[in-house]
Amino acid sequence: MNRVFPLLLLLVQHGDTQEPQIYDLLLKNGQVIDPANKRNGRFDVAVVGNKIARVGQNLPAAHARVVVNAEQYYVTPGLIDIHTHFDWQGADLNLQPDHNSLTNGVTTAVDAGSSGWKNFEAFKTRVIDSSKTRLLAFLNIVGAGMYGGNVEDDVNEMDAEAAAKMVLKYPRILVGIKTAHFQPPTWDAVDRAVKAAELSKSVAMVDFHPKPGRDYPELILKHMRAGDIHTHVFGRLIPQLDSDKKVQPYMFEARKRGVLFDVGHGSGSFWFRIAVPAIRQGFLPDTISTDIHKNSIMLPRANMITTMSKFLNIGMTLNQVIERSTVNPAKAIRRPDLGTLSEGVIADIAVLELRKGEFGFLDSGHGKLVGDKKLNCVLTVRDGQVVWDTEGLTATDWTRAGPYSNFK
Amino acid sequence: MNLPRALLLILPVAALLPAQTYDLVLKGGHVIDSANGIDRVIDIAVSGNRIARVATDIPSAQARKTVNVSGLYVTPGLVDIHAHVYVGGRLNALFPDDTALTAGATTVVDAGISGWRTFDDFKRTIIDKSKTRVLAFLNIVGHGMGGAKLENNVEDMDPVATAKKVKQYPDLIVGIKTAHFGLPGWDALKRAVEAGRLCDKPVLVDSSILSNTKRSTREKVLDIMRPGDIHSHTYNDRQLELLDRFSGKVQPYMLEARKRGVLFDLGHGGGSFLWPVAARAMREGFPPDIISTDSHPSSYMLPQVTMPNCISKLMALGMQLSDAIRRSTEAPARAIHRYPELGTLGEGRVADIAVFKLQHGTFALKDSWNAKLLATRQLECVLTIRNGELVYDLDGLAFPLWSTAGDYEVIR
Repeated sequence: MNRVFPLLLLLVQHGDTQEPQIYDLLLKNGQVIDPANKRNGRFDVAVVGNKIARVGQNLPAAHARVVVNAEQYYVTPGLIDIHTHFDWQGADLNLQPDHNSLTNGVTTAVDAGSSGWKNFEAFKTRVIDSSKTRLLAFLNIVGAGMYGGNVEDDVNEMDAEAAAKMVLKYPRILVGIKTAHFQPPTWDAVDRAVKAAELSKSVAMVDFHPKPGRDYPELILKHMRAGDIHTHVFGRLIPQLDSDKKVQPYMFEARKRGVLFDVGHGSGSFWFRIAVPAIRQGFLPDTISTDIHKNSIMLPRANMITTMSKFLNIGMTLNQVIERSTVNPAKAIRRPDLGTLSEGVIADIAVLELRKGEFGFLDSGHGKLVGDKKLNCVLTVRDGQVVWDTEGLTATDWTRAGPYSNFK
Repeated sequence: MNLPRALLLILPVAALLPAQTYDLVLKGGHVIDSANGIDRVIDIAVSGNRIARVATDIPSAQARKTVNVSGLYVTPGLVDIHAHVYVGGRLNALFPDDTALTAGATTVVDAGISGWRTFDDFKRTIIDKSKTRVLAFLNIVGHGMGGAKLENNVEDMDPVATAKKVKQYPDLIVGIKTAHFGLPGWDALKRAVEAGRLCDKPVLVDSSILSNTKRSTREKVLDIMRPGDIHSHTYNDRQLELLDRFSGKVQPYMLEARKRGVLFDLGHGGGSFLWPVAARAMREGFPPDIISTDSHPSSYMLPQVTMPNCISKLMALGMQLSDAIRRSTEAPARAIHRYPELGTLGEGRVADIAVFKLQHGTFALKDSWNAKLLATRQLECVLTIRNGELVYDLDGLAFPLWSTAGDYEVIR
């Protein structure tokens, strides 16, 4: 009897009070913008291990190993950049993913067709498998990808079955099919890319140069399917606007059909003289992305956080910008587990600061827009781990860190 | 027609040109150019890839493009003598252009990822393809960096072959590097010094002083290193016994080494900048001779080791901005025997220029252990010119408003 009694008491106590959960990281009181969950307000976000454990109010700081006061900041899902070029070991213009993504709050980057079915596995081994950034990919419809000379114009290189087979082999990495840079005035590249996407039940991302006999309205009204993505929507070669700078009716019609329009800023595809009137007329991009590579990272500064700032200063709201950098790209690549702060998902989080002041932003032609807002990523959590922390929000002041030395 | 005669024909014509003599004028900036004793507001004009003129009030009318840099600091392009940019080598490295040029460093020296066996590959894949001026310290290990097995192999430390490679590329290879040697004794350092002697170049030293290595700081900096050799990782207490552990004073042999011409380099990196060591050393009057990053993929992330970041850290410990710039331009250029070609804004020099904003506020600067110091100033690179070309412009200072520029193509 004497032995049973305390045990019963213990059981009763356990039933009465919920066992407190210990958080590994608690982001306190930030302005959470999580469009996937229609959240835009002050919340605490708690991480346990590599997962989002709780999103709520008044989560106890005493239960957390590391507490970040996020009062001055916006807390968003880790950003998703669906148009990148990160095969840095394979292609000359490609950049390294981690320091170009995680520093911008981007936790998921999608390589847009640098590799094709013939060389994707090499790309996976040499880059994807060892990146901290979640690196996904569109597979180029060209078997050899973007690596070699005139191969991108060679229709014989575009094997829809082989491409689809590769996508189906790596469904957690390959999100769709890319077609790009195709110069002959035929529909072969687009049609084969769409065919491969159809066969693999994935998405086609299209980079398109209109030619006589191959015009843009026909692309977005006939050849692309609902859910397919036209990238470089504010590029110079695309007739989005009429001569009075009015958005063409077929743009809205295609959108109604479900075709998605992506930014893909890059070194040639983002012009204020197109984007500003289009956005003022209510034609916003569905997804914001960078087309980041060696020639776009420097002068137009086409990284994610700067690109988002450009849209903010054109007049989009912060909520619209975050939506188009998180939940929208997640939906576009059919990964509802990404771009959200839902409880239970992998903890990919960005903490952003909205600076006020006077800032200049360049487009692909180096025309400048002067704005009064600029987003800055101050902290990034990837897979539960703090990987970027410019304000030292998780760092101890050195005078309170005790004696430390490389000898210990 | 030979070249001098051609010049004679061209020069008088150039002198008579009424306007647009210069491609670019940086107007109204505070120029820090220690080599020429300049630390004040003055204009800089660039023609082609050269600094054409440094003078007060250069008329905008004489320039194709004028950039108003008032309120900003203008310095020679920074020279980072301890970087890791041999992407494709066996040690993780960073491409130089998107990491160095955006930080105002127009010259980076790869610190020993390549050795004499691998330098040609480094040259072909990175040096020849980068906009950044990429130079190298050649590792005394023939295979370069790549883990203990390679780097502890004394057999592969060949001073003759190493010096021969240096002499083959005297414009690209500035010295010898030794690093990560994990065996007892002085084999690695002595062979590096021997290679340096054979090709008359400095040695950049990374060498730990754990007791089981049978190495002491005193012997290293007084007996083995030569004047002009550079010890990196100055504030890493496992590399140098800089401070007396009881009194906190700078060790006399460190002062003596400095006096005899041994140079001390910051080499921040992922493990070599500790606030307790740096703060004490700075208080005791032992600043690094040269500021450098030891930047690589992991030190670039949490500690954020770019050149302006390292400069900001030393400023937080009391170094003057102009002094920090000297230690990031003229001093490293001299250390690698490339002064006055590099590290100054003298007229006629290559136009490698950096423009910085000194921000005021509260900034958390983190050391290699992710411990922070709250500082009130932080230096940020806003514009970089490399070889006369504008390669980075954070705020678009050099470009016109889109709304007034018409149907522009790419504006240069």
